[in-house]
Amino acid sequence: MKRQTTIGAAIAKIIALALVVGSATAGNDFDYCLLCHGANANGNYGIRAPKLSGMEPWYLARQLENFASGARGAPAEDAPGHEMGPVGLRLKQEGAIDAAVQFIGKLDSKRPAPTVSGDVAHGKQLYQNCASCHGARGEGNAALQSPALAARSDWYLATQLVNYRNGLRGVDERDTYGAQMRALVATLPNDKDIIDVVAYINTLK
Amino acid sequence: MTNKLSRRGFLHLAGAAGGSTAVFRAAVALGILPAVAHASRPQLASLKKPKKVLILGAGISGLTAAYELFRKGYDVQVLEASFRAGGRNMTVRHGDRIDETGFPQVCNFDKDPDLFFNCGPARIPGHHKELLNYCQELDVELAPFINDNRNAWVQDDAMFGGKPIRAREYLNDSRGFVAELMAKSLKKEDLTGPMTAEDWEKLREYLRQFGELDPQFRYIGTSRSGLAAHDYTHPDQIKKPLSPSELLKSRFMQIMSFGETDDQAAMMMEPVGGMDRIVTGFMRKVGHLVQLESQVQKINVGNRGVEVTYRHNGQYVKAKADYVLNCIPMHLLAGIEHNFPKEYAAGFTSIPRGKLFKIGLQMKERFWEREGIYGGISWTLQDIQQIWYPAHGIHRKKGVVLAAYTFDPNAGEKFARLSPAERIKLAVAQGSKIHPDYGNYVETGVTVAWHQMNHMLGCAAQWDEQLYKRWFKTLQTPVGSHYLMGDQVSYHPGWQEGAIASAHFAIADIDARERAGGAVAA
Repeated sequence: MKRQTTIGAAIAKIIALALVVGSATAGNDFDYCLLCHGANANGNYGIRAPKLSGMEPWYLARQLENFASGARGAPAEDAPGHEMGPVGLRLKQEGAIDAAVQFIGKLDSKRPAPTVSGDVAHGKQLYQNCASCHGARGEGNAALQSPALAARSDWYLATQLVNYRNGLRGVDERDTYGAQMRALVATLPNDKDIIDVVAYINTLK
Repeated sequence: MTNKLSRRGFLHLAGAAGGSTAVFRAAVALGILPAVAHASRPQLASLKKPKKVLILGAGISGLTAAYELFRKGYDVQVLEASFRAGGRNMTVRHGDRIDETGFPQVCNFDKDPDLFFNCGPARIPGHHKELLNYCQELDVELAPFINDNRNAWVQDDAMFGGKPIRAREYLNDSRGFVAELMAKSLKKEDLTGPMTAEDWEKLREYLRQFGELDPQFRYIGTSRSGLAAHDYTHPDQIKKPLSPSELLKSRFMQIMSFGETDDQAAMMMEPVGGMDRIVTGFMRKVGHLVQLESQVQKINVGNRGVEVTYRHNGQYVKAKADYVLNCIPMHLLAGIEHNFPKEYAAGFTSIPRGKLFKIGLQMKERFWEREGIYGGISWTLQDIQQIWYPAHGIHRKKGVVLAAYTFDPNAGEKFARLSPAERIKLAVAQGSKIHPDYGNYVETGVTVAWHQMNHMLGCAAQWDEQLYKRWFKTLQTPVGSHYLMGDQVSYHPGWQEGAIASAHFAIADIDARERAGGAVAA
């Protein structure tokens, strides 16, 4: 009897372990993405989590790799980026980056409501520097590894431009594309320029 | 500016110098007594025709509403996003999972009834009548929780070279110093208005008692600050008072009245075996109505009820109800698809989320008891802010100590950025300034960064007076038959009593509508 109980307990333990391990890769585990990034990963301004749906798979994968390696999000001042560090690392360790990207790709992407307003005409002038890589309509360019900018979380675009400028992104030598952006953000020297260019991007379709 | 003191002015001054106990005692001395009042549980009418209620979130507010509505005949379903019920009422024990974004942890405490950690609420004040009523009704056994212990330590790098001193020494020497200062400066001719010469005598006597001053109104030390030694074969030896200028170097002077605030007391209560015994009690009654791992994605308020879409087992599922009671944290609700009025939804992103942080450490010996500390809290102005000693399991071998509990969002973020192991390392380094051998006793620990905990991503909503004025009514008022709930929609966020109050408000409103004939239209 005692022996049976012990075996029973051992089996229960194995099942419990399997549940814990299993939950990390279970089919609905990516629902965790939606907790922060909102329904259909269309973003949640409430906790400053950007829209992910509609992002290019290669861009999402690269950013998750960067978060995992610390090439992005390492500076403590970049609190949301820093929070993504361990998330990227876990996905990487479990070989789940591609599956996560696929999950996001299947979601119903909606154009987010604008939160940034500025001088659109001025933003249009400034955008000419951006258009060569990101496209005249903000549609992105896979060949140049430049993601689309149109229909993204506008507050997030502004935050990232500030992060590039302040050395919170694009400073790690492994993040070569980020380094390019860090150099190019010099064309937007003050906060008003950033607001204006994002306000213009909001008009792109 | 006049030097004359009115009654009110004196009370204000006494409050600033001595904490609210001083005000209370002075109020009693002057014949002014405070009144206490609280709302009570709504008595719901039994339903005449069936009504479906969908409750989003199985925390304390959701479970309270489920319990009350179900027993009056409502068709209740509770959707909970997490793998567990309880919300922020969360106790961890041996083997429990701590579901933090990026840093999932497993609690490795020994399997033992006394070795648990209350990650969220951990103490109940005697005036939280509604919660206490539920404890009684749900057979949740309560035990004393020791909240304020004058034998515990106070430590600040700014004073006494960072050396900890006993709370009783800190508090009573400060009081003696303040009482002497006031007694010396209080002149009979300065009293105005309703105050009389007789009041002056009373005030001076009150100050003497408050600070234990000598017949000449001097503070020369007191046994209240603890004796130099407790060798009872010798006469008592009073300690020399600490230097007032050294005491003033610490900002602690300004927060030493924490234990006097309305929700705090020297003795409070905790459920035996962990705060989540309350959740267990509710779940015994309504657990069969709760569906876990169901994360809401969309809420559509219509003219005849509400439609909710949620994800369960990787699938989208739709549910319709006559009423929806929504306990989802507002900052997460902001990311869910909905058709709420713009003004209502704008509130979701307007109230900052709390970033409270806690650490629990299993200690291989109850070393603090050898220091004469049985329960209570040591305070420090380092990041960890507090060390709590368990009031349960006294004189047993091991105990779980709360090794950090931060209120400051910057401190919360600082800890949250670190890995769990690094968090514990930092807490041990800081705790070692209070207990020199601290680190040697640590066996294992858990860390809880509430703003990174899944399905919460925040602690109590950080309301202030302006925000309440601007948003509270908007958020509390139902939209159609959709109600926002939780401690976030109360004037008592961060307390279970606030969560219960919000649930009572919503169900009382539903009850009124049903009594009026079940009008569900917006």
